[in-house]
Amino acid sequence: MSQAEVDTTQLLKGVLDLAVLAVLADADSYGYDVVRRLRESGLDHVGDASVYGTLRRLYQAGALNSYVVPSDEGPHRKYYGLNNRGRKALDQSAQTWASLSKALNHLLNGRSNSHGK
Amino acid sequence: MASNDQASDVATYAATVRAQLADLPAMERDVLLEDLEQHLAEVAAEGEGSLVDRLGPPEDYAVELRAAYRAGRQTTQTTQTTQTTQTNQRTQTNGAYLAESVRAAAHRVIDSDWARQVVAFLPELRPAWWVLRGYLAALILTAAFSRDYPLGPIPNPATKRGLAEILAAGVAIWLSVRIGRRSRKLPQGPRVLAISANVLIAFVALAVLGNMHTFAYSELIGTATPEQAPFNAAYAAGPLTNIYPYSQDGKPLTNVLLYDQDGRPITVEQSEAQTIYPTGADGKAITNAYPLTQRHMNGDPVVAPRVAFPPWPTPSPSASPSPSPSPTR
Repeated sequence: MSQAEVDTTQLLKGVLDLAVLAVLADADSYGYDVVRRLRESGLDHVGDASVYGTLRRLYQAGALNSYVVPSDEGPHRKYYGLNNRGRKALDQSAQTWASLSKALNHLLNGRSNSHGK
Repeated sequence: MASNDQASDVATYAATVRAQLADLPAMERDVLLEDLEQHLAEVAAEGEGSLVDRLGPPEDYAVELRAAYRAGRQTTQTTQTTQTTQTNQRTQTNGAYLAESVRAAAHRVIDSDWARQVVAFLPELRPAWWVLRGYLAALILTAAFSRDYPLGPIPNPATKRGLAEILAAGVAIWLSVRIGRRSRKLPQGPRVLAISANVLIAFVALAVLGNMHTFAYSELIGTATPEQAPFNAAYAAGPLTNIYPYSQDGKPLTNVLLYDQDGRPITVEQSEAQTIYPTGADGKAITNAYPLTQRHMNGDPVVAPRVAFPPWPTPSPSASPSPSPSPTR
């Protein structure tokens, strides 16, 4: 793992909940599909175990519903979807994230500006 | 063979991960690992290569799993507490409370497992619609090109025309399925067009089906009103020997004169019973005054049969008690 990858992984840990909730808000989905959609969104280094663990934890916390959909191509798939509590958690975390990223961007811009001078 | 390999691969991988997490409290471990095999089977089914190639060593997987599960635990709990406070604040105003409970009720339906299962199952019905669409398209074309043709749900394969229609329907179904399989991923514009075309087919088909003479319909015409069939046909089982007229409220009538459409007196067949006709002022027997007075060979008078009256739409309160079925039954 390169230093950049380690950084990404560390940063991602804090916001993986939010990322998974956001993916599920878009459409119900099963574990491996969540991984794929996160990677398609640009979170290349998200690990399968992290996503599975996060899904189980969010489910345990009552933020997700889960149900099994039979598939004729392979094994049955366990789908997860947001329930009321999950949607509220997403709204709240999204707000937190927005203010946090705004503050951080501000800080980073200030830094690059002072460097420029 | 491949699925056997996959199954054993999943089992081995999962067993190693479980062993690595054996130190977790039992409840946490159960929740975390409950679906592990199923999840790994999903992963294995969607790609090439062994699980170790794709996910890394199971030991590392277990470390990541533990971290992911432990990581957000405190955050989630805090989030829940904040939510409760927020809900309490909201309940303070009645209107907001009502809106909230309506929203919650709607979400309970949308979030329910059965609603989600129905939504998830719907795409599986797509091929069924493709077949039906082809059939309906053929039906619409048949209806459009032949105005006075007795359109049926399934054409008669014994006729040339019916056979041609069945073949046409087969081709239409084949085309429809082909189109359905190809148009999986359409851009927004063509997608709206395609959906509109499907809806249009369904609506036009409804109109065509509404005008269709089904088998059941033609049978109904034939048997709907047996009372109005000609005497000969209706009483094929036995000769018609007398007629007992009753008034609307079930009172027996006497000396009712019956004539046919040409004004000829209606007479009935002679039975073993002897009929006594009344004699008119001109000395001729009146043969069409019903009921006829008849005597059996042994001299006993022929008595009126027991009859069941039909229930009238609005029974008059003065109707005498009769064996007619009561409307409430």
